[in-house]
Amino acid sequence: MINQDGVWTRWFRYLTCLVLVVWLIMPLIPLAIWSFARGWFFPDILPRQWTMQAWEYALSETAGVLDSLWLTIGISLSATALSILVGVPAGRALGMYKFKGKEVVELMILAPTIVPGIAVVLGIHSVFISLGLTNTVQGVILVHLIPTLPYMTLVMAGIFSNYDPAFEAQARSLGASPLKTFWYVTLPAIMPGIIVGGLFAFLVSWSQYILTLMIGGGRVVTLPLLLFNFATSGRNDITGAIGMIYILPGIFILLLTAKQLSGRSGAVGGFGRI
Amino acid sequence: MSDRLKIFLLLLPAMSVIILLFFGGLLIGLMRSFNYMPVIGLTEPNFDAYIAVFTDEEFYLSFMLSLHISVTSTLISCVLAVGAALLLRRAFIGRAIINFLFQLNLTVPHLVGAIGILYLFSQSGTFARLAAEADLITRPADFPALVFDPFAIGIILQYVWKEVPFIGVIVLANMQSLGENYESVARSLGASRWQAFRHVLLPLIFPGLLSASVIVFAFTFGAYEIPALLGANYPAALPVLAYRKYTDVDLAARPEAMALALMIAVLSVVMLFFYIRYSRRKVRS
Amino acid sequence: MRQISKLAAFAATVALTPFAALADTADGDALNAMSWDEIVAMAEGGEVNWFMWGGSDTINQYVSEYVGGLLMDQYGVTLNRVGVSDTVSVVNIVLGEKESGNLDNGSVDLIWINGENFRTMKQGDLTFCGYTDLIPNNALIDWGNPAIANDFGVPVDGCEVPWSTAQFAFAYNTALYDNPPKTIPGLIEWVKVNPGQFTYPAPPDFNGSVFVRHVFYYAAGGVENLLGPFDQARFDEASAETWRILNEIEPFLWREGQTYPNSIAALEQLYANQEVGIVFNYEPAGVGINIMNGTFPPTTQGYALEDGTIGNTNYTLIPFNSPNKAAAVVLQDVLLSAEAQVQKALPDVWGTQPGIDMSRVEGELRAKFDAIERHPNVVSAEDLAATALPELQASWISAIEQGWIANVGSK
Repeated sequence: MINQDGVWTRWFRYLTCLVLVVWLIMPLIPLAIWSFARGWFFPDILPRQWTMQAWEYALSETAGVLDSLWLTIGISLSATALSILVGVPAGRALGMYKFKGKEVVELMILAPTIVPGIAVVLGIHSVFISLGLTNTVQGVILVHLIPTLPYMTLVMAGIFSNYDPAFEAQARSLGASPLKTFWYVTLPAIMPGIIVGGLFAFLVSWSQYILTLMIGGGRVVTLPLLLFNFATSGRNDITGAIGMIYILPGIFILLLTAKQLSGRSGAVGGFGRI
Repeated sequence: MSDRLKIFLLLLPAMSVIILLFFGGLLIGLMRSFNYMPVIGLTEPNFDAYIAVFTDEEFYLSFMLSLHISVTSTLISCVLAVGAALLLRRAFIGRAIINFLFQLNLTVPHLVGAIGILYLFSQSGTFARLAAEADLITRPADFPALVFDPFAIGIILQYVWKEVPFIGVIVLANMQSLGENYESVARSLGASRWQAFRHVLLPLIFPGLLSASVIVFAFTFGAYEIPALLGANYPAALPVLAYRKYTDVDLAARPEAMALALMIAVLSVVMLFFYIRYSRRKVRS
Repeated sequence: MRQISKLAAFAATVALTPFAALADTADGDALNAMSWDEIVAMAEGGEVNWFMWGGSDTINQYVSEYVGGLLMDQYGVTLNRVGVSDTVSVVNIVLGEKESGNLDNGSVDLIWINGENFRTMKQGDLTFCGYTDLIPNNALIDWGNPAIANDFGVPVDGCEVPWSTAQFAFAYNTALYDNPPKTIPGLIEWVKVNPGQFTYPAPPDFNGSVFVRHVFYYAAGGVENLLGPFDQARFDEASAETWRILNEIEPFLWREGQTYPNSIAALEQLYANQEVGIVFNYEPAGVGINIMNGTFPPTTQGYALEDGTIGNTNYTLIPFNSPNKAAAVVLQDVLLSAEAQVQKALPDVWGTQPGIDMSRVEGELRAKFDAIERHPNVVSAEDLAATALPELQASWISAIEQGWIANVGSK
């Protein structure tokens, strides 16, 4: 019968699991060790001296690491909020309606996932200079919308395609105002999509590098920019500390939304729509 | 209100963002690549930038490198991701851990993974030191060059590390919603496990797999920070080349940078078109 | 309802933040006509945005904490240090602003700069000039010294003020070698005998570029043959020999020369992990700093070349469209002060050589400076100064960099 595993298959499964676990965690380990190391040279497997100096620097006021952390969180949350506001209606239109030119619209909204950011940002940079949006947080949030919006729209379109508008109609026929209908009927139904889409949007904005670098012009220093600077300037210990700080918020948000990512919700299935 | 008006209003915000920012950016980039920008006084378009790009050997080398990185990373990630998803779709001890780690990996930004790969695989990195401990090498130079190397091995490793969970989560979700009934039927009709997979399951998960790999392909082709950190100096990946030209103090290089950026956009779309057609045909057969 | 009003207040703050009141001035001509006390009064309560290379946490700390502290305590001005990975990006910012018509509200108030970047800005009329005699501490600068009055051969002309001086020096790992090569031809031989243990960052990296220039000086038979404006004939002759030498040693370099490190930091990493045995830098004091913070092995020893190494001065410059010129000028005065210059000469702070003429400083500060003991592993300033070589004019440098990329880097 198909559901029974032979002994070898089971062992193969466990071995593969072990390899997977190790492989997934592996790159993070040297970063963690480096953040506590002092003078860790080849061929030492472990540092000869352990120290907190990297963490002290990273958490100090003048290093700007913590400021950068709050800035990055603020930018990513704003970009996520904006893409929710814009992506939910768009997802509704694409998920619930058929209309002429729908394929073209879908392709246009999904284009940013195919055309890399660098192709677009050089042109945008020129325009933003004259609009005075370069070197500003507002400009960076705006430009982060480009890669986050397609994910949000895609997920919401997936949710809305399984959504039955009959409930809304019923609520309206019972006398509910449009706002109440949205709040009590629509919103709870699409919430899993908003959470998953929001998570993707946040992560896309959280890890943005070239868009922030070009539009922020070195004035808007998000964590990835700071991390890159230290990684290329040879201070591996500080790089390790900042790297650890950088992955924490993502993990935190994941723990909050883990349930939604399993296959049972229709949200992730939206990816089959491209 | 009518349906058409409703659809229009629903799509308006998103379409404004896409048209103004995304297509607008492409258009301005296109115009500047022809050195045509009336607003600052450039009123005579010319092809100089494109000629400079197409006669530069570096452009072709960078293009081949970026193509190699994308194709290799995407293929390896797809194969491993499908394998991982097959492994994870049934319950067993430790599945929850792996699921969690997969999702955890999604939250780790590429840059962190790239730095980790650098620390692990450089000639004086963790694996080199373990090799020295095991007396396999004596000097860092004896360890194979996996980063800053012409085959972009370190870059590909990093992309695979990050994209296997990304594709895996999507494929797994698809598999779980499909269930195992189709395969059971095939098996009961005499098909082997491989046949049940190849001819029943694979075509069913193919749409999701294709979309995910399209995103991965495009990303690996156009990403900047990973090849900037892990790549060799020459030839550099295409996005690194474009950025270098844009930030060159010699302003004449700027239209060239725009031209390169547009080439990246065009090449992404063209390659994806072929990729989609080719894979659709392969799976259908 | 309360949530909405809180949100509105927040939104209003965010929306209005870019429009903070301009207490300072963008009008350079008006500034030039003022007295020092008027300038100080105008700067008070304001801020200055200083864009500088941010790759060293020791320098960052000196600037943010020490200099920032002095500036706030003595003049009530806030220092915003903006770290960049390459000064050319700051030049691009100012250039872009000029191009788009932003003539009086630039985002950059001060730049740590020299060499080609200075030339680009001066030639492009991007600098604020002619005000430097207003600065009290300008008296400490020896403008009669051509190495100070000219930035890579381009006359300063009152467009910038010096900050520190630097001289290129080498360092090697005493645990691995006994006798490092002390001349350029000696280095060439050493590389062939010790394959895979030397490399240099690819130009246009600042340090990689100056290393190539050392080979260029040797190929030209000495720097005396290269002084003055760019000469195509002399360039062709010297560069042909330079590329021949560099291509000849290429197979003996790290990774057989198939790739070069992208930056000086990458080279330092290779050195620290014994992938290469020799390292160098414009800032010799970096050896001491790196040993102290654990980035270099403690057996690193700096040394000078017998046939000389190139030295230069680095400066601070105010862009033409800075809206905080008074504050920037006040900051320059603080940077030039004997106090700040001595502080950064301390080996555990930075260890860099002053940009002012220390013979013009007297009293306690002078005694403190004279008593400074350099870090034992750092090469002595006397050794270096004995064989200091001048920089070439910036046009030579771009030609050498382009030439390297075409003739060595891409082969």
